[in-house]
Amino acid sequence: MEFRRTMESKIGFVVNPIAGMGGRVGLKGTDGVFKEAVKLGATPTASIKAEDALRYYLSNYSNKDHIQWFTCAGKMGSEELKNAGVKEKKIVYTPSGKDTTSKDTKQACKNFLKEHVDLILFCGGDGTARNVFEVVNKNVPILGIPSGVKMHSGVFGINTSAAAKMLHEFVNERLIIGDAEIMDLDEVLYRKGEWKIQLFGIAKGIVEPTYVQVGKTSYASVSDDEIKDEITEHIEDEMEKHSDFMFLFGSGGTIDYIAKKLGFDNTLLGIDAVCNKRVVGTDLNEEGLLQLLKTHKKAKIILSPIGAQGFILGRGNLQLSPPVIKKIGLDNIIVVSTPSKIASTPVIRVDTGDKKLDHMFVLEEFMMVVIGYRLSRVVRIQTNNF
Amino acid sequence: MKRNPTAFLKEEYEELVKNDFDWKLRMLQSGSTPHSIVDGKEVIMLCSNNYLNLSNHPRLIKGAIDAAKKFGAGSGSVRAIAGTMDIHMDVERKLAKFKGTESSLIYQTGFAANAGLIPQLVGKGDIIISDEFNHGSIIDGVRLTKADRAVYKHRDMGELENVLKDADKKYKRILIITDGVFSMDGDIAPADEIVKLAKEYGAMTYVDDAHGEGVIGPDGRGIGAHYGIEGEIDVEMGTFSKAFGVVGGLIAGSQDLVNFALNKSRTWLLSGSHPPAVAGAQLAAIEVLETEPEHVNNLWENTKHFKKELSSMGFDTGYSQTPITPVIVGESSVAKELSNSLYDEGVFALPIVFPMVARDKARIRTIMNAGLTREDLDFALEKFEKLGKKLNII
Repeated sequence: MEFRRTMESKIGFVVNPIAGMGGRVGLKGTDGVFKEAVKLGATPTASIKAEDALRYYLSNYSNKDHIQWFTCAGKMGSEELKNAGVKEKKIVYTPSGKDTTSKDTKQACKNFLKEHVDLILFCGGDGTARNVFEVVNKNVPILGIPSGVKMHSGVFGINTSAAAKMLHEFVNERLIIGDAEIMDLDEVLYRKGEWKIQLFGIAKGIVEPTYVQVGKTSYASVSDDEIKDEITEHIEDEMEKHSDFMFLFGSGGTIDYIAKKLGFDNTLLGIDAVCNKRVVGTDLNEEGLLQLLKTHKKAKIILSPIGAQGFILGRGNLQLSPPVIKKIGLDNIIVVSTPSKIASTPVIRVDTGDKKLDHMFVLEEFMMVVIGYRLSRVVRIQTNNF
Repeated sequence: MKRNPTAFLKEEYEELVKNDFDWKLRMLQSGSTPHSIVDGKEVIMLCSNNYLNLSNHPRLIKGAIDAAKKFGAGSGSVRAIAGTMDIHMDVERKLAKFKGTESSLIYQTGFAANAGLIPQLVGKGDIIISDEFNHGSIIDGVRLTKADRAVYKHRDMGELENVLKDADKKYKRILIITDGVFSMDGDIAPADEIVKLAKEYGAMTYVDDAHGEGVIGPDGRGIGAHYGIEGEIDVEMGTFSKAFGVVGGLIAGSQDLVNFALNKSRTWLLSGSHPPAVAGAQLAAIEVLETEPEHVNNLWENTKHFKKELSSMGFDTGYSQTPITPVIVGESSVAKELSNSLYDEGVFALPIVFPMVARDKARIRTIMNAGLTREDLDFALEKFEKLGKKLNII
């Protein structure tokens, strides 16, 4: 039942020592404002979080796992590993200055890739996740120990011990690689008073596999792609059943897979429109969507939870503005998700920016989320913001 | 292309063996009795479904022999053509009376009932609403339909109602399916609340009471009697293979249901009917339940004692409400080790491990038997305590 690795896992470990410092002093992030944060009295928290996760990991699992650690000098990983009790590690990067920046995180990740690590474990927030992703892309799965101001991305454990447990499960091949959104607040806009969460890309995260019963007491795991194929068949049926509707494909990995499988060129991070099996709009902004909805009055939109908190609206797809959603109608929203994603984000959240519209979702109480071919699961709706 | 058409047989089997997913069949050199001989060793049996020990009851054995003598070894046909004997009809009449329903129908197995009937009850444009922990035979029955499917969280009536609200607007027929007693945890579906919700939304109800027949409700009459809602569940499905001690599936409900089911269930129409000996034993099993309440009483007395002692030793026995008592030990490897050690000590109980149950909830699933004596139970409990301490579970 359990699979044992015979080889050592190579784990790249990097800490963003300044992650989370802005939060303590009300700066909502540390990108570019580190010095200001220090002036306001911010102290580093990432090292503490990283050591927490490592200690939890070592005290619970160290005897069972075989890990070869690759890390960076000083507070970018080496010190935390040492303090937690990891003796053997290979330092593959040494930052030049005292105050580290995103460049250091990125260079560390480049060096991890050269070492062919199996996973990059980082400690930081959304900004750090983004930096790691910018280098790693989909080459290696990434896992975050949460320590930043914002953790909207889907690559984090929910807390330090959860991240440690995920590392253990990954090393023992009990978790598989799946899509995880990389999201970040546009911090410059935020400090001007605008809240805008962008979807930067789809990384490889680690997720719980979906199991189906194959014998009386035996189960086989089903890959995310097989599940997505099933959901695609479901959507294909829906498009045939409602052939007089325009279908809008939302952003994210699951929907991108479905659209491409159906033969449409699709924008991974944007909204595309299909009518009568023809693409009638790509990477549409709010204006483009409203224009299309004038000529195509009947429309359905396919959405999937984005990021760690299960938002289907308001994170990473702001072009789906309240006027757009109202025109489409709540009844015409189809939410799809792999079961593994629903297991990790058991609540659907909306934050459209329009309180009345959000309230309409609240009144619905729940959504039927498509998790397979003609198979759905009831999921509660919440509108509280994160 | 030249291909080896059967190479997959060996390859896939070897893959199962490699992952420890293959079944290693244990062999009984005795009947399924409270003390059984398993692979040459005498053990206390804690994993058979023979809850009431009826498989060894003299009246059932006599019922089987008498029927075989009178009607022969086989039935000669499927029920629909020439395989319905008066003894089959007697069982169905007696069963309906026992269950407090208008009518009943016997299927070849419980699986045949689920796989044969569910796909006929719903089709395109309909929806099945299913508890997430339902048994594999329900899942396969559901797979054979063209209906949409929605899954609700285990025993969560709030979620069920949410699905019903949504389904009410979109579908023609709505069918709610649940296990009666859930076989991994031993908990009972809130069938009374399910029936209430179903009535409110115009949904059908289907309860698979395989582990409840002969076990729960007054005189073991099953889930309908347990909640005092006899005849209100549209399809009460069950089996003769567990507490009844024989074999065969059953449904109990209205005459309309039975007329519909026997004309439409392909498993029923296309399989030979039960041999007379099976029907004779089934008939006797119902008679025993009606006239000898001590078996059900013993089962529950044994269950209470066993659960109480396990809990006082410090074992986590979950939230079972029935004679299925899980002994939750944590990691899968511990459950496997405990099961093996118990067998060595003369107690036979199987481990249930991830992904059947959560990773940290691996367990030994014990199933009580009315035929076990207090001495037998204390023997088994002593072994659980000894090994539980040795493996640092308690």
